[in-house]
Amino acid sequence: MGIMNTDRTLPSNRMVFEVRRSPEMYERFTRDLEQIMAVYGLSEEEKAAWREENIGQLAELGVHPYFLPQISRLFHGVAHNHNESEACKAYARHLDDLH
Amino acid sequence: MAEIVATAALSHAPSLTGWLYKAPEDTQKRILAGFRKMGVLVRAKKPDYIIGIANDHALNLPFDNTPDFCIGVASEWSGPAEWFKDWVALPDYKVLGKSHHARTLAREINRSGIRVAFSDDLLFDDNWSVPLHFVTPEHDVPLIPINMNCTVPPLPSVDLCYQMGETLAEVVRGMLPEGDRVIIMATGGLSHDPGGPNYFEVDEEYDRWFLALLEEGNPQRVLKEVTIEGMLAAGDGGTTELLSWIAAMGTVGDHPAKTICYEAEPALRCGLGCSFWDLT
Repeated sequence: MGIMNTDRTLPSNRMVFEVRRSPEMYERFTRDLEQIMAVYGLSEEEKAAWREENIGQLAELGVHPYFLPQISRLFHGVAHNHNESEACKAYARHLDDLH
Repeated sequence: MAEIVATAALSHAPSLTGWLYKAPEDTQKRILAGFRKMGVLVRAKKPDYIIGIANDHALNLPFDNTPDFCIGVASEWSGPAEWFKDWVALPDYKVLGKSHHARTLAREINRSGIRVAFSDDLLFDDNWSVPLHFVTPEHDVPLIPINMNCTVPPLPSVDLCYQMGETLAEVVRGMLPEGDRVIIMATGGLSHDPGGPNYFEVDEEYDRWFLALLEEGNPQRVLKEVTIEGMLAAGDGGTTELLSWIAAMGTVGDHPAKTICYEAEPALRCGLGCSFWDLT
């Protein structure tokens, strides 16, 4: 896996792109994941990976690698994003899946 | 004709401002000294404006229509974008653009045969917020931002990025107003792997090789030896941000760079460095 394996057409990629751009969409993401996944038309496979915060599976499906640690931040916060932060620890749990 | 008084290249990792405190104290001091020196060097040139070249972090260039380069043509910019404020831990700022000049660049570079997009609606994340914090902390030098695609495949080739820099320099010198003093500033890199298995590592060997290569002032060798494959091997998720440094090199030809600083600190998750080409 890597950036060259990105599936640009994957609905999850559009969702992450727009959620980070728009405070309104980020608020909707934090309030109701199911609703926003429906808005962007994610597949059942994608939805299952998001529900489990399964970063390895999202990578497998073609989410852009740059988005993967950002997905951790969408769930766990962006501030003080050092290696011991909750967002980094959540990402690190999936490292073995990313080789 | 306008004059390019210097070209600069520097990292923009969010750790530089967001969690620098996690690095050993002496490392923090060296980094701050190096990046602040970069600011002193740039400001000493008394630039009228900066033309920046930075990778877009999949924030402005959409996946369904991804240009290689996008020139920011607004008359004013602001940052950091909302979701990134706490990440980079920097206060809100505004910086003037140069709308007319930016449109000239977009028009003339397109006429040269390199396809560039343009936009007056770019969000700024770490790519501009962090370098401006060090280089022009008062945000008192106008910026023409050029966002480029360094990570969404297919990537612009190393040769195209260099050619973009050459063309940019030609247009600056040929079309922008007589007497304007211009700094070219690339931001991005060095090795890092956001989203990959080496997220918590830095490839110091690659970074030092790359910086040393820039010091040779030999673009032919750079174009032969710096490859996208090599960058990916040094950190798949982000090292190709160095394509912006290749574009910067295109503006200087065979002038050798001077390495201002470099640190490889895993706590900061990115090889951090600055290079400077003094052209006057």
